[in-house]
Amino acid sequence: MPTDAFLSLEGVRYRFPGDAADTVAGVDWRLPRGAIHCLLGRSGCGKTTLLKLAAGLLAPDDGIVRIDGVALAGPSPRVGFVFQAPTLLGWLSALDNVLLPVSLRRRPQAPDRDAARDLLTAMGLGALAERRPGALSGGQQSRVALARALVGRPDLLLLDEPFAALDALTREELQDDLLRLCASSGTAALFVTHDIAEAVYLGDRVGVMAEGRLIHEGAVPLTRPRPPGIRYEPAFGAVCRSLRGIMDSAAIGRAA
Amino acid sequence: MRTRLASALLLAGLVAAWEAWCRSGAVSPLVLPPPSAVAETLWGEIVSGRLWPHLRVTATEMALGLLAGTILGLGAGILLAEWPALHRVLRPYVLASQLVPKLALGPLLILWFGFGLTPTVVITALICFFPLFENTLTGLTQVDPGQRELFRMLGAGRVRTLLRLKLPSALPVILAGFRVAIVLALVGAVVGEFVGGRQGLGASIIAAQSVMDSSLIVALFVVITALGMAVYEAARGVEALILKRYARG
Repeated sequence: MPTDAFLSLEGVRYRFPGDAADTVAGVDWRLPRGAIHCLLGRSGCGKTTLLKLAAGLLAPDDGIVRIDGVALAGPSPRVGFVFQAPTLLGWLSALDNVLLPVSLRRRPQAPDRDAARDLLTAMGLGALAERRPGALSGGQQSRVALARALVGRPDLLLLDEPFAALDALTREELQDDLLRLCASSGTAALFVTHDIAEAVYLGDRVGVMAEGRLIHEGAVPLTRPRPPGIRYEPAFGAVCRSLRGIMDSAAIGRAA
Repeated sequence: MRTRLASALLLAGLVAAWEAWCRSGAVSPLVLPPPSAVAETLWGEIVSGRLWPHLRVTATEMALGLLAGTILGLGAGILLAEWPALHRVLRPYVLASQLVPKLALGPLLILWFGFGLTPTVVITALICFFPLFENTLTGLTQVDPGQRELFRMLGAGRVRTLLRLKLPSALPVILAGFRVAIVLALVGAVVGEFVGGRQGLGASIIAAQSVMDSSLIVALFVVITALGMAVYEAARGVEALILKRYARG
């Protein structure tokens, strides 16, 4: 078991009030610093709940969530979160939306503005910094949300199917943006998705969740950097197929 | 532009028809004065300076009542939106306070505050309270749950979430309530004066009625309508300025 885990989930269990079964039924998982982990699972398998437990947005009924060895008592400033929807504030410009994590704590200074502007530029939105979200496309809004999560230089980024609502080509562009930004800042990421190809393309490691449990965890046997064309190579397809097999076996187990 | 022209032509047509009907002798000028007589009376009131003190009193009552009602409605809306338990306890009382016909409170308010500005301001404030209260409550409780979760994730406390998320996102709804309150404020001020006013446009209507001066009554209608439209349009202008930030682009 790696000892340098940055995020560690230890016997984490959670049940929504009034539910008959646990949504997260005892998960042990350790994520090392700097790596990108993908959590794969069908809708309703508990992966979003697990992510919210890791974020401190929910408190586990049992078990402990640790960030850098310290038990989590609530949302941590060292963790950035990207939601399913961009959740931008419609009355603020793209730049002010990116600066929100800063401006909620103190008045943003020139270096903060520069950092936010650099992030937007890195995502090709430099010219749109003064626009409000209503005047941005879905892909641009998702980029602003990603920049907002990164502006505080978090050690860990938690992402909850952030690109699920985008068209395939925009989604691939954003996946590359994410890989580039995480690599340049050394940020670790836990990326929740139901898309197998997305998990394989992004992840250093992939976990598969079913019925509130982590049923599989393993490294992705593909080298980095991964060119976009890798998606059409046999090795990529083989990894996807094997993950699909694991997900299907869980479904069969449930039916039996 | 075209619709404005059509609107003005319609007004001219209606006034002309009214004038023609009065001149045909079908109706006594005591019952319905012709527009020419109304205009003459209005002009006389303006140049003689008799109108201004009354206009000032009504406008003051309207403004003070609107201000007090807005502050109370906004404050109560925020309080009850932030503390749902308080909401459940106080809701029946708030509703009851609004269902009491407020004009019927007039005689009681005169007993309490005497004749003059205060009872009318209180009635106006009570009338303006409800649209502000209801819209603030609705606006604050309808904030996107995703955005609320974002603010939790960013470690924003209750006050910061209220000031930076809830109030800004509820602002269009609150301002719509404010516009309704403006219209009601004028009704409150004028009708409040019917009950207990010595001065003001409403009190002047009662005075004109006692001497059967129907052209003065209609002239006062015109002044009241103009006052209401002016304040409403001003509020809409301010609102458009504020909400420009909310528009696309």
